[in-house]
Amino acid sequence: MSTSSLPRAPHHDVAPSDETALTSAKPESNDLVLEVKDFSVDYGWGERAVRAVRNVDLDVHRSQVLGIAGESGSGKSTLVYAVTRLLRSPAVITGGDARLFLEADKDIGSDARTLDLLGASERELRSIRWSQVSIVLQSALNALNPVLRISAEFDEVLRTHRRDMNRHQRRARAVELLELVGLNEDRLARFPHELSGGQRQRIMIALALALDPQLVIMDEPTTALDVVTQREIIGELRDLRARFGFAMIFITHDLALLVEIADEIAVMYAGTIVERAPAASLHDAPRHPYTLGLLNSSPPLHGEHRELVGIPGSPPDLAQSLVGCSFRARCPYALERCAREAPPLVGIEDGGRMVACWLHDGSPTNLPEPLRRKASPTARDDLAPRAAKEVRS
Amino acid sequence: MNEEGKSLLEARGLSRHFVVRAGGTIIRKKRIVRAVDDVSLDLRAGRVTAVVGESGSGKSVLARMLARIVAPTSGELVLDGSPVAIKQKRTLAYASKVQLVLQDPFASVNPVHRIRHSLERPLLIHGAAKTDVESLSESVLARVSLDPPSRYLDRYPHELSGGQLQRVSIARALCVKPQVLLADEPISMLDVSVRLGVLNLLRGLCDEERLAVLYITHDIASARYIADEIVVMYAGQVVEQSKGTRLIDEPAHPYTRLLIASVPDPAALTRDQVKGEHAFTGAAVSEGCRFYPRCPHAMEICRTSEPPMSEVGEGHMARCWLHSYTSEVSSGALTVRQRGGTVSKQ
Ligand SMILES: Nc1ncnc2c1ncn2[C@@H]1O[C@H](COP(=O)(O)OP(=O)(O)O)[C@@H](O)[C@H]1O
Ligand SMILES: Nc1ncnc2c1ncn2[C@@H]1O[C@H](COP(=O)(O)OP(=O)(O)O)[C@@H](O)[C@H]1O
Ligand code: SF4
Ligand SMILES: [Mg+2]
Ligand SMILES: [Mg+2]
Repeated sequence: MSTSSLPRAPHHDVAPSDETALTSAKPESNDLVLEVKDFSVDYGWGERAVRAVRNVDLDVHRSQVLGIAGESGSGKSTLVYAVTRLLRSPAVITGGDARLFLEADKDIGSDARTLDLLGASERELRSIRWSQVSIVLQSALNALNPVLRISAEFDEVLRTHRRDMNRHQRRARAVELLELVGLNEDRLARFPHELSGGQRQRIMIALALALDPQLVIMDEPTTALDVVTQREIIGELRDLRARFGFAMIFITHDLALLVEIADEIAVMYAGTIVERAPAASLHDAPRHPYTLGLLNSSPPLHGEHRELVGIPGSPPDLAQSLVGCSFRARCPYALERCAREAPPLVGIEDGGRMVACWLHDGSPTNLPEPLRRKASPTARDDLAPRAAKEVRS
Repeated sequence: MNEEGKSLLEARGLSRHFVVRAGGTIIRKKRIVRAVDDVSLDLRAGRVTAVVGESGSGKSVLARMLARIVAPTSGELVLDGSPVAIKQKRTLAYASKVQLVLQDPFASVNPVHRIRHSLERPLLIHGAAKTDVESLSESVLARVSLDPPSRYLDRYPHELSGGQLQRVSIARALCVKPQVLLADEPISMLDVSVRLGVLNLLRGLCDEERLAVLYITHDIASARYIADEIVVMYAGQVVEQSKGTRLIDEPAHPYTRLLIASVPDPAALTRDQVKGEHAFTGAAVSEGCRFYPRCPHAMEICRTSEPPMSEVGEGHMARCWLHSYTSEVSSGALTVRQRGGTVSKQ
């Protein structure tokens, strides 16, 4: 099913009619939750458009945690907001496909179906947002209404989406949700300013899980928090994911953190995915120089003290047209060819790894040593959660 | 330039208490928050001292007292050998010797003016000649490796990345030729990829110009990278302190271990049990150890009396009953020896 003929730019501004909704009765894949193909987003039009996301492919499997890593400005938020159709003008989806594969949901009496996200009507999008796909926005720490008690936030969500619940049931559900994120029910009577940053973020997570979604998107949920709170929240998210089996997209600029929570990781740079691999392989054996740079940016807790440099320089201006590899100016291994041609994202080795870098075009023996390492197959299983093992349902 | 190791700013028994109205919707009682309680620090030329602790542990209040933006409830400050009259207003001379760099460069550098303006202002206030400000601004940008400086002077803050703007705010602090640089979480709002650049810059200023640097963070791994001495704060108190990185290699306090276990570290296979009490609200007045409610090794004595600071190794102090009990105790999983003994899992 191709939807590339659908009118798109600037379709967020045009009120979509309900007839444009394209849903087919049968899910086309049992395993995928979300499939994004050749997806591009600009801010603005014409010459001066900022090409924030360029030709991105992404799949998220059921119960999988897909991590998206990359510096600020690499297009992580733009990608997930555009896919879920939350972006407003001047953002324009200039091409691509995004489909959601929903399982039957007995809570709301819906059958299994496939939803074309870019063709869907506003009404259809409303019916799946929160209940099937929920998002914790990057600015979530300030997303709670300052004049409402926490109880009112839960009440509102449940009243809108679970009409059959009465007041007592809604209250009971809210208490249950708070418990899931390790908060006492007395928090319900509080206002947002009476809570710490970590508590507010937990409330946002509880709200995101309120309707038992199939896909949860977390955009930098712990970036504004200290490491202790971050560690606790990451632990809770892992437990919740294992318990309820939802799929998750977890976005952060901290690759070391992502390796701990994600099953698979996509590394973004200047609007494109430059490497994609299972989390442990990506950590043990990075293949893209940018991934290597990100991994070498966290000072270690053990070993000899040595000077580290991070990734000197800054990302390119996305309003300029890019020739060659977008990482070239900061790459310690750049070849002459990198200035002329943009490397495509191609499969390498076995095990479904992808990389966009000319270094991998030739013989592996010519690779710089740090990009040649082998992933250690042993003792890594208990690190990042592997979906198949942990999901009990 | 100052002689290496010379004390430039010393804090002795610095405390700051706040009176706040306690929660509860009906009866509102007054409560004292001991945001910083009896903290002593010695910032020396050519040394980086790191203060590490999670949010609410009192790090910013401490930094503001050192910068004399917040008045201490009690305690003393000694600047370059002379006592500071704490009760009086901060002098311009003090401000030019002790400069504070804040966490969010986008909030601390005025967004409506060009970078030029943000640098010239402090230069003029501190008495630079009008004809010199341009060259002084350029040289200070060069010191923070914004090269070529002329390219940055006419930019606006929003045209720079977070890392570049944090360099500008460090440059602005350097304008007045301070001896002491207080950096309050200077990298926590920055991308991981540019954090090392800012840390290397602070380390370089310290080594090459013999500044005394206070580096505040919640990330103990970054403290290990940059610091000569590490101070761990919890709920307003210093709970562990060591020269070098001893307290990371051999942490004595359970809270320090929690900080270490919290660092994202894909290579670590085992983690300390983290007993989270999220409702913790800061420096509440209570008896016993302030970390008691969260401590996995807590004993009866921890609930009833506050542990003293005691020596656990050379230049290594910790405030924990596990290390200052007068006789040998064992608390379930742990066997502990008196003073300097190691904590070993059974
Ligand atoms: N409203 C907007 N108008 C123009 N450019 C924008 C807008 N929002 C974001 N951008 C640009 O799009 C790019 C991607 O931004 P974003 O998706 O927020 O990245 P990330 O989430 O990875 O930090 C950046 O270069 C940013 O400057
Ligand atoms: N002006 C103030 N009034 C009342 N309490 C304050 C004030 N400033 C700070 N505090 C309290 O002091 C404690 C320490 O705060 P702070 O120094 O900002 O911590 P940190 O910088 O380590 O996160 C916190 O409990 C905070 O609520
Ligand atoms: S004194 Fe007791 S409660 Fe406090 S940290 Fe040590 S063991 Fe834990
Ligand atoms: Mg973002
Ligand atoms: Mg602070």
